[in-house]
Amino acid sequence: MDALGLLLQGFAVALQPLNLALVFLGCLVGTLIGVLPGLGPISAVALLLPMVFALKLPPESALILLAGIYYGAMYGGSTTSILLNVPGEAASVVTALDGYKLAQRGQAGPALAVAAWGSFIAGTLAVLALMVLGPLVAKAALRFGPAEYFALTVFALSSLSALGGRNLAKALLATALGLLLATVGQDPQAGISRFTLGLMPLEDGVDFVVVAIGLFAVSEVLLFLEAPQARSTLAPLGRVYLSLRDFLFSLGSILRGTGVGFFVGLLPGAGASVASFLAYMVEKRWLGPRGRLGEGDLRGVASPESANNAAAGGALVPLLTLGLPGSGTTAVMLAALMSLGVTPGPQMFEKHPQVVWGLIASMYVGNLILLVLNLPLVVLFVQVLRVPAYYLLPSILAISFVGVYAVNHNPFDLLLMTAFGFLGYLLRKLEVPLPPILLGLVLGYLMEINLRRALILGAGDPGYLFGSPTALAFWGLSALVLLLSLVWAKGRPGGGEGQ
Amino acid sequence: MRADRVAGGAALALALAYGWSAWRLEPGFVSDPVGPKAFPLGVALLLAGAGLYLVLRPDPDPPWPPRPFWPRALATGLGLVLYAYLLRPLGFVPTTALAVALLARLSGAAWPRAFLLGFGLALALYGLFGLLGVPLPAGRVWGG
Repeated sequence: MDALGLLLQGFAVALQPLNLALVFLGCLVGTLIGVLPGLGPISAVALLLPMVFALKLPPESALILLAGIYYGAMYGGSTTSILLNVPGEAASVVTALDGYKLAQRGQAGPALAVAAWGSFIAGTLAVLALMVLGPLVAKAALRFGPAEYFALTVFALSSLSALGGRNLAKALLATALGLLLATVGQDPQAGISRFTLGLMPLEDGVDFVVVAIGLFAVSEVLLFLEAPQARSTLAPLGRVYLSLRDFLFSLGSILRGTGVGFFVGLLPGAGASVASFLAYMVEKRWLGPRGRLGEGDLRGVASPESANNAAAGGALVPLLTLGLPGSGTTAVMLAALMSLGVTPGPQMFEKHPQVVWGLIASMYVGNLILLVLNLPLVVLFVQVLRVPAYYLLPSILAISFVGVYAVNHNPFDLLLMTAFGFLGYLLRKLEVPLPPILLGLVLGYLMEINLRRALILGAGDPGYLFGSPTALAFWGLSALVLLLSLVWAKGRPGGGEGQ
Repeated sequence: MRADRVAGGAALALALAYGWSAWRLEPGFVSDPVGPKAFPLGVALLLAGAGLYLVLRPDPDPPWPPRPFWPRALATGLGLVLYAYLLRPLGFVPTTALAVALLARLSGAAWPRAFLLGFGLALALYGLFGLLGVPLPAGRVWGG
């Protein structure tokens, strides 16, 4: 069957009343969490993951709900960037540059509206591109053996490390920590228990949700505690609408942002934050003296906001076809999929078409919901910011408690969560990016198993890992991104996605 | 400077302990030429390299929060640890209510309001997860 027919089937899945309600719910809750400063898509998805599991939904519905949360949280982040100059997540850091200036001039409405329209157009185009590209990549990936997969994971980890922060050593340290955590528990082939420190609960390994909630949500609570009184002033909102003139004025930026965003999103390791930053840079170069980027130009909001949505779509290509997440958030999505018994990979397009195409279609629906729901409701969402910190912080913790406990019904996980919370806090203070830890943790198992399979095939000869042109290409790309990051070490904003 | 050096040193120590523990693992099958130790040894090497770099070339220290933060952070940590130990014996609702109240107090709420929030949240979550069919501990002392 052709892609269009499959997509139509996907829409049939996405438009089932239950799934429609879930996209709606996900967008709503995701936006609410995303509006909270410091809590971005990673925290939103990780915090709500256990609840999603508790609902015992079929995999496609669970994934649809998670995608809604992801989208909503991204949009919530841009809302606070524009209105408060407080980016809810790294992907909207550049949005704040022009967005907040516009808001101060009473232009918050058009800024928010252009963000929503840009996201919608970018999301739509990204879905189309994903539809074309996904099956092609999946087909090519069917020929990958363990050596190619190993090299590919090395590439994903290298590029996230290279792009994830200012200091490569710190990003590599985070990657190593993630991989180390992945090796705790049963060895994947021989079943030998390793690195458990003699603790029974560690026999089954360190649970992903526990690490993610600890590192992101609990550490955020500690950061809040540093200065609980700090409060920024809310810019006046005004009417949220976009005039046709402003729309046409920004359309070029939206389209350029979409292009940049989608291709950045395709790269493993380069998430929405890199996409939005790069799109902004491209826009600045493109407009030259004609643009007033940085002084409150609508196009300076349109371009990065379109880019981060397009990147979210692009990132689904490696995630769904290769099982390779490109960022912290997609790492959480991969963990979710695997817990639901769906292992993404080249066969997924054939084995679980309802999941793939249902997800793609519901992303589209999610975009539409964000446009028709969030725009009029922005006024309500920003009310969350008026809720005092002493309500929000404990609530985040209480949700973390339930979420972590629900994973294994073992209080030990709560101790582990606390430890990761403090570790996350310290690492954030030291500007060690956290997303590589998550990526290392989800990829470690696959990486080791592929390494061992490859070496069995190669009869112990490490040269087998470099034996095919595809594998060699991935090794070359890994070396390239690491080298480039050393060259570009200066002049980039710090922090990876969700930092 | 100091913070990065300490972190780098800690990473080095962790890499050593982890690497040593990996080194002592028994090899798996004969057919598996690498066994369970090769991958962890590689990871230990990466960790040690990154740690060493931080010891040698540290970044400037981050701005640490003002003093009153540390007692608050410590109290939060203690609260979380106690939570883990009291959850099964005391049950979800009272334990969560207490933990939430403590944290609300630490972030600036008055006690009555803190307790109100604690019990409200705890009951709501207990009810919600009960509906979802995820049993949360009722508490051994209450016969649960």
